[in-house]
Amino acid sequence: MIKSLNFQDMRKKFSQALDARVRAITAGLGITELGAIMRGDPPTEKPNPRYKVHTTSFLFHIRPRYYELGSTIFTHTFRLGFLTTFFFFIEVFTGLILMIYYTPSPEKAYTSIVNLMTNVPFGAFFRDLHRLGAEGMVIFTTLHMLRTFLTGSYKKERSFTWLTGLALLGITLFLSFSGYLLPWDQLAYWAVTIGTSMAEAAPLFGNEVNLLLRGSPDIAANGLLRFYLLHVVLLPLLAILIISIHYYKVSREHGISQPATFTEEGNATSEKKKWAKTRVDFLPDLFTSEIFWTSLGLFLLVLAITVLGYRAPLENVANPQVTPLDTKAPWYFWWLQGMLKLGDKTLMGIILPTVLVVLLIAVPYIDRNPYRSLYRRPLAVGLGILSVGALIVLSYMGLPEYGIKQDPATRTVQDLIPMEGPGPVYEIPFDQLQNGAYVVNESPTADMCLNLDFGCPALEEVFTSYSEKINGYIEAGELPEDTTATMVIEDWQLDLKKVTLRITWVDAENQNKEYSREAFIHADRGSE
Amino acid sequence: MKRIQLEIFLGILTILATSALILYYGITEPERMAANAAAAQARQIEVGAALYEAQCSRCHGVQGQGIPGLCPPLNDRYFFDNRLKDVGWSGALEDYIVATASSGRLASTRPQLYPGQGNPAMPSFSDQYGGPLRPDQIRSIATFIMNWSETATLVEVPSLPAGPTVGVEITKELPTGDVANGEALATSLACTACHILAPTGPAWLASDSQPGIGARAAERLQDPAYTGKATTPEQYLFEAVVDPNVYVVAGYAANIMPGAYGSQLTDQDMADIIAYLLSLK
Repeated sequence: MIKSLNFQDMRKKFSQALDARVRAITAGLGITELGAIMRGDPPTEKPNPRYKVHTTSFLFHIRPRYYELGSTIFTHTFRLGFLTTFFFFIEVFTGLILMIYYTPSPEKAYTSIVNLMTNVPFGAFFRDLHRLGAEGMVIFTTLHMLRTFLTGSYKKERSFTWLTGLALLGITLFLSFSGYLLPWDQLAYWAVTIGTSMAEAAPLFGNEVNLLLRGSPDIAANGLLRFYLLHVVLLPLLAILIISIHYYKVSREHGISQPATFTEEGNATSEKKKWAKTRVDFLPDLFTSEIFWTSLGLFLLVLAITVLGYRAPLENVANPQVTPLDTKAPWYFWWLQGMLKLGDKTLMGIILPTVLVVLLIAVPYIDRNPYRSLYRRPLAVGLGILSVGALIVLSYMGLPEYGIKQDPATRTVQDLIPMEGPGPVYEIPFDQLQNGAYVVNESPTADMCLNLDFGCPALEEVFTSYSEKINGYIEAGELPEDTTATMVIEDWQLDLKKVTLRITWVDAENQNKEYSREAFIHADRGSE
Repeated sequence: MKRIQLEIFLGILTILATSALILYYGITEPERMAANAAAAQARQIEVGAALYEAQCSRCHGVQGQGIPGLCPPLNDRYFFDNRLKDVGWSGALEDYIVATASSGRLASTRPQLYPGQGNPAMPSFSDQYGGPLRPDQIRSIATFIMNWSETATLVEVPSLPAGPTVGVEITKELPTGDVANGEALATSLACTACHILAPTGPAWLASDSQPGIGARAAERLQDPAYTGKATTPEQYLFEAVVDPNVYVVAGYAANIMPGAYGSQLTDQDMADIIAYLLSLK
């Protein structure tokens, strides 16, 4: 009996069976081969199993077998396209989780977000991650486009890829913008109201487009549902489709471009050119590299939320009756708001942006310069840098602080107690809010709280800045000499204080003027 | 070390670090959720405070102290401890507040003390019933009112005079009034809850732009727009207290001041108040 049991034989059979299982999962890579990949050794079998997976496995089939060495140089691509895709996957994953807890109706939307943050473990984490990923995706898509422009990688056979890339930039912006409305807070409601009101300026059918987007003249239940469906169904499906086309062109047709230094005549020796064409196999080099970048990206995102304290903003629930001061569009549309300040709404808000988009689409066809090196196309590079500069300047001009003449009293109060969002008065620790009526230029700005043994440096700082602002306006002649500016702090309820800022003055026509705002501040409100 | 090995090494390190961060975040998550919940509650109280001030304070008092003859106090021990039992409400107090504020009151439950401001005694505030507020705003107001529950003290209900009251006939002979007692009455009857012009004090005092109510009463009698029956400043003030809608000063709305003071003041009370007001020139 014992003799007939051959342990060596059994072990062999067992390891063969195990190897077969592993190969079934990895689409042909055996255990020894996996070990060799991990160690960075050459392939252990012939034909090379690391190529074979590209035909046997779907997921590897859609990836290229190799990149050319020249195109993997970090300073050529900065991995921007890969990182944009990384953010897209982050958005899909976190978005699916958020969808479980979200209800797209004006009555429920805001409460469902509050519920997510107060009742769902890691709920706030996934919301922060989704928001941060969205910002990242917009930034990296734009940077990716800028890189493609600067390295001239949109030319010739890549012109269609450039077009799909532009479409993806548009989809990314609209994905982000449509998600902006969903929390249904004041920030969301008014930013989207401003954004969609731009559509209204379109000639002929502006009103219809606006109605179609909003579902009614103002954003309400219909508008929210439309934005939700755009955000979770239509735009993601479009994005997946066009990403597939974009990626297929890159991986199967023309590959990632080589830096111009290796391809253009006169720049490189034939040896260098040959070196640049060396193949870097997907398995294991590129694959490892991608996993490395993914884990680094994840680490940085998680670090930003857990340690650096990034928080997705959430203001008070949307109130169609109250437009907060300083309402603005999402930051990536500030340039558009800046343009609107320069002229007619239809011209600046619709016609010119459309011309810009058409120009961007046409870039590969307008630019007949065959060279890709930065130094051989000064005009294109100059225009590119100029456009980036113009975007930054226009974005600055889009801020509410720019170009809108504001009443000094309103500005002062808004700077200290903004109607929505964080502000200096809200940052004062609750126990430093000492009751009293403080009058600018009468009450002392130092040692205000002699009865508090810890003092009130934050309150003093805010009151000093209040005094400085008022005195600044008096010196500039925008407020009269005898302006009275007060700050009153009262106990209102258990753990609740009322802070009133009131500015009274007599204007040039001898009329009594007053501007005041009250803020209620609760001990547990938490910093924004 | 080859690049690939460096990447594997650093990749494993970052994955471990990420896991550690998530673990740390997960351990502190219950406290974070509790803080978020407290913050959400705090924001609701803040929003409710502003809405209360705008919508409710005119009748229920800025600090919820109520106005006798108009609306009941809410910052009141009785309200938090016994009100539900008295009205037979089986749910929670917060829901009672939401229900009352949403639909209003067609008729007062305590017409002798708090008749409200006419018909209905309290208007509906929910936009579902024609009012100005959304349901979430009413919920915030209720949260704000509930925040008084720990600190509320019993508000004393002013007792009605046992004997005969002054009535609404303004030609009635009144006894001689006492100025000091009149001033005390004006404060204790909560007149200042409405008749206030911060920060200079009650609206009947003299201010920069106009004299005191004593002088104003004499002037108004001469005004051709005056529609009442009074012929002397005394009668004018008498009428303004017991029958306020006969003549409403331009710029103010009718039907705001309670009309029941004729049945709540004695002859002597009325005389004292008039004497006090007339002393303000």
